Amino acid sequence: MRQVAIYGKGGIGKSTTTQNLTAGLIELGKQVMIVGCDPKGDSTRLLLNGLAQKTVLDTLRGVGENIPLDSILKVGYKGTRCVESGGPEPGVGCAGRGIITAIGLLERLGAYTEDLDYVFYDVLGDVVCGGFAMPIREGKAKEIYIVASGEMMALYAANNIAKGIQRYARKGGVRLGGIICNSRNVDRENELLRAFAKELSSQLIYDVPRHNIVQHAEIRRKTVIEYQPESSQAKEYRQLARAIDENTHFVIPTPMTQDRLEEILLEFGLLDNLEEYEI
Amino acid sequence: MSKFIDRPRYTCALGGALIALRALPRTIPIIHASSGCGFNVSNATTAGAGYLGGGYCGGTSASSTNVVEREIVFGGEERLAEQIQTTLEIIDGDLYVVITGCMVEMIGDDISVSTNKFAAAGVPVLPIPTPSFRGTSYEGYDMLLSGLFRLYTTKGRQHRKNRVNLWGLPPGQDIFYKGNLTEFRRLLGRIGLDAYTFFGEGEPLSNLQNAADASLNIILSDTYGLKSAEVFEEVHGTPWISVPLPIGASQTANFLRTVAQALKIPDAEVEQVIAEEDARYYDYMERLADIYNDADLQRYAVITGDANYAPSVARFVSDDLGWVPRLVVITDSLEPDDTESRATLLARFEGWESDIRPEVRFDTDASAVVKYLPEAWEPNHNERYYNSLTPLVLIGSVFERDLAIKLNAPLLTLSFPATNRVILNQAYAGYNGGLTFMADLFSALLVGR
Repeated sequence: MRQVAIYGKGGIGKSTTTQNLTAGLIELGKQVMIVGCDPKGDSTRLLLNGLAQKTVLDTLRGVGENIPLDSILKVGYKGTRCVESGGPEPGVGCAGRGIITAIGLLERLGAYTEDLDYVFYDVLGDVVCGGFAMPIREGKAKEIYIVASGEMMALYAANNIAKGIQRYARKGGVRLGGIICNSRNVDRENELLRAFAKELSSQLIYDVPRHNIVQHAEIRRKTVIEYQPESSQAKEYRQLARAIDENTHFVIPTPMTQDRLEEILLEFGLLDNLEEYEI
Repeated sequence: MSKFIDRPRYTCALGGALIALRALPRTIPIIHASSGCGFNVSNATTAGAGYLGGGYCGGTSASSTNVVEREIVFGGEERLAEQIQTTLEIIDGDLYVVITGCMVEMIGDDISVSTNKFAAAGVPVLPIPTPSFRGTSYEGYDMLLSGLFRLYTTKGRQHRKNRVNLWGLPPGQDIFYKGNLTEFRRLLGRIGLDAYTFFGEGEPLSNLQNAADASLNIILSDTYGLKSAEVFEEVHGTPWISVPLPIGASQTANFLRTVAQALKIPDAEVEQVIAEEDARYYDYMERLADIYNDADLQRYAVITGDANYAPSVARFVSDDLGWVPRLVVITDSLEPDDTESRATLLARFEGWESDIRPEVRFDTDASAVVKYLPEAWEPNHNERYYNSLTPLVLIGSVFERDLAIKLNAPLLTLSFPATNRVILNQAYAGYNGGLTFMADLFSALLVGR
């Protein structure tokens, strides 16, 4: 069983990428479980063709701990197992602790079965506290992918996440498997992300191009692979799935200083003739 | 620098606030914290403060939300509202105060959301955060007072001449707080002042509510209660002075002069009171003169206590009793970079009439006293003729008992924790307190007679 955590700046497309990637892995005959680690509970919407009815924490809050597994684990697209940790109302309580509690309950209820090939943890935004690092602690997820784009803030967040990974990598076995580019069509994005990944001692494992079909599929509560299996974007996700399935390059990341990050941005992130633009 | 805490001489901020609430009449604490917090701090303080006990609806009867994982994840505001509701139903009080432990503060519970639901309850339910990661029981006392002055004390009252407030003796941490406050109310009354101390004998809650009519706040401490004095000044515009805790005749006379000066009370009136108090004080003290000389009761002293007691006790035994204090350990958790507080306290060891200057150390550890002894007195290196640190008296807490046994010296406990004695109305400060302290100190020497 490969346990994989997906991190990245909020809104970068972690959930979309993870679910499309999952659909690709399912086509390769893999058994996959997705654990959404976001209080919003929207990490499995495309696989379930709608929001999960109850999150782990909702159930825990209402009914308690003595619940059957199937009350929190829903089966979605072609047998994908989908769980949402959920969390407190915005602005109260401790969402980080909620994730720790939810993952603990999943383990006790026996969600991690032998037949699983992949467990994906789709974690919200930055690793703001210990709770959001839970999926990579205590020997759970051993590999991590960071979703990023060529935008400054996405790279800044990715570098920060790499710091979190480095901390836990020293203590345990967690490794960075690569950067997934979810393209925003910014200047020289591919080169920039290659340089960024290299600086982290990692790799740009796949560059997913931007395509409006993703938006169309999302509105219809489907992955691109389910919505239009023959589209070029579906092929891209299949290739991403294959790249991850075949990945052997796992490293302890070497996050950079803010100055170095900005140097890389200056080097790759600008078009040569930007100053010549006229507005 | 991080280090082990060796038997702390205080509890946490929650503990300081809880014990201060226990010392207010008909005031009901509602603890919003993990289960165990309230019990542990009450248990430590009610025994350690000379058997202060839990009081009315305090101690192990205290109301607590006992939050568990569910409240940590989802927020504890609803649980707190439930606890306030049931407390109002079951426990009869005039003032309800919600105080908090670390866990609920870390997850950011807004306790005022819960207390606001009881605005129409007919009794005040006040939210006063007391997270212990912000400090010890001393800070908890200050946080509680700051909160009460902000939320409970009526604003906009006219300042009255000759009305003063006095605080700075944290209940429980000062095991003699009540006796001491009674003594200071008496003394300030003698120079024409009506002093509210909030925690004193028979003082109603209305003293706290009406506190803003004071024209001066007197903080009997170089370190405790200063933040709440600043809050009081900010909210109610009352000026304040900070004076050291006076023990015995000469320190207390100086205290009265300082207060009189701040309030422009004529010298003659104050000197008259001082003369009368001195006469009464020395009439009693004179009784000791014979036995002091016959039995040669001059002693070396090693003193361990908090920032209120340690300097004043050392000066008292030196200037008033003619003893020789060699080592003073101030046991507050003053940060090493808190040079201002340290400088203020060190200055209290200067200008003594005796011209003696003991070694002063800042350390909270129970084992620290023995560590500093060789620095205060040359140890015996097998000399044929060795001038030893005897006869010696230890003045400190019950943590000094092992050292007392080792040094074969009597121990008088006056600082927290003092589980080896019962404290009721005794004072150790002021004129009367000086006499009681003196009587206890010499009794400790004469106990075998």
